[in-house]
Amino acid sequence: MILLGVNASSCQSKKQVNKDTDNWRYEIEAVNTGIQGTYLIKVWSYSAKPEVAIEQAKKNAVHGIIFKGFAGKQGIPGQNPLATNSSIEKEKSSFFNEFFMDGGKYMKYVNLSNDGSVAAEDRLRIGREYKIGVLVSVNVTQLRKFLEDERIIKSLSSGF
Amino acid sequence: MRIYKRIVITLAIVTSLVEVVMGQAKKPTIMVVPSDAWCIKNGYVLEYDNQGTKIKVSDYKRAVQESTDLLLVISKINDLMAARGFPLKNLESSIKTLESEAAESAMMTSKAGSTISESPVDKLKKTAKADIWMQLTWTVNQTGPKKSITFNLQGLDAYTDKQIAGASGTGVPSFTAELPVLLEEAVLSHIDNFNSLLQAGFDDWFKNGREIVLRIKKWDSFDGDLEKEYGGAELGSQIEKWVSENTVQGRFNTSDATENMMLFEQVRIPMIDSNGKALDARGWGKGLQKHLKDTYQVESKLMMKGLGQVTIVIGEK
Repeated sequence: MILLGVNASSCQSKKQVNKDTDNWRYEIEAVNTGIQGTYLIKVWSYSAKPEVAIEQAKKNAVHGIIFKGFAGKQGIPGQNPLATNSSIEKEKSSFFNEFFMDGGKYMKYVNLSNDGSVAAEDRLRIGREYKIGVLVSVNVTQLRKFLEDERIIKSLSSGF
Repeated sequence: MRIYKRIVITLAIVTSLVEVVMGQAKKPTIMVVPSDAWCIKNGYVLEYDNQGTKIKVSDYKRAVQESTDLLLVISKINDLMAARGFPLKNLESSIKTLESEAAESAMMTSKAGSTISESPVDKLKKTAKADIWMQLTWTVNQTGPKKSITFNLQGLDAYTDKQIAGASGTGVPSFTAELPVLLEEAVLSHIDNFNSLLQAGFDDWFKNGREIVLRIKKWDSFDGDLEKEYGGAELGSQIEKWVSENTVQGRFNTSDATENMMLFEQVRIPMIDSNGKALDARGWGKGLQKHLKDTYQVESKLMMKGLGQVTIVIGEK
């Protein structure tokens, strides 16, 4: 009975963070220039359970790189989103639903840095939930290539 | 059912073939070059006296031969652009090809002893060419022991002189990193933003047409000028009408017009013509040349400069 309760509460948190992702409720911060083909970013996600927020950071990172982009800071330029068509998320909703489902293909393009350990100053309690900042490395080159191959975004040479 | 299946497969193959054959616009060539400011700052210039005025010209050959930092940056950009499916023309190789081509042309003779014909204009045109220049500038900033790089990459349309893409900024100061490491980091930081603007520029070309420049001139042997009446209107107006009818949404500017010349700028020509063939300034200008000959019996000479500039000289070939 207790186990069932814990499971249900975890599912509830998961549902909520997925909803947050869809509603753009996360923040991305430039950290450093990643190694070639990657972006090194810090993703701030919200959840009542810190471990759910840490896991969701991966999804938020890929979501943000595709649709949102992120602002730069002193010495590190921000980056534009991969998708230039602002309505692509709705137009290709079935593709993105599958891509972003739990354990979906998005996992292939993202890694938690520092094995997902979160610094004390990146774990904030806000009311009844946590705001967790996680360092993430996104393989943008591979992600872009995949989206180009799936005809979700245009390649630089398309049409030529 | 089988026949139906075959028809569907055949139709699919034909459609994809049509797309492949007819849907491709002419790909612009891109080359990375150091900016004049960088060349002058680093001493890679040729100076000559032009009727009393000292002129400085960038010496690309010496720059690529002597600056390993420049080679590194060019190579890194070439590498990253190739990975994006857009391989670039290499400056150093272009210079070498130009030199060997010039040497070969000078030595070449036919069996009967004829040499290659070359006009002064042909000679002038023998320079490194690209449709888009990726112009590169960087400066090293030093504050005490800390070093940083200010990096500026500009994408310049060679024919309209417009900047169609760009990325610039100053990196994080470092105590320990060596210059090549800072340069590599700068390229990696800025290339994606540069490419997203370049992509937006290309999207604009496909939507609103490739921007070109059209110049109309006349030979002094031509009996008449652009104000002479043809078909009930001045020749200049007839040309303007043709340009208006053959541009995307009639977009163009008549920047200059006299009885002897006309200059059309921001002329938006379709990337692909009505027959599905890729179009450039020359192909488009040929349409005007044909129109002048067929409709008004006016001969003209057409000259091109890359994909984006065309000059038509009226009067004779």
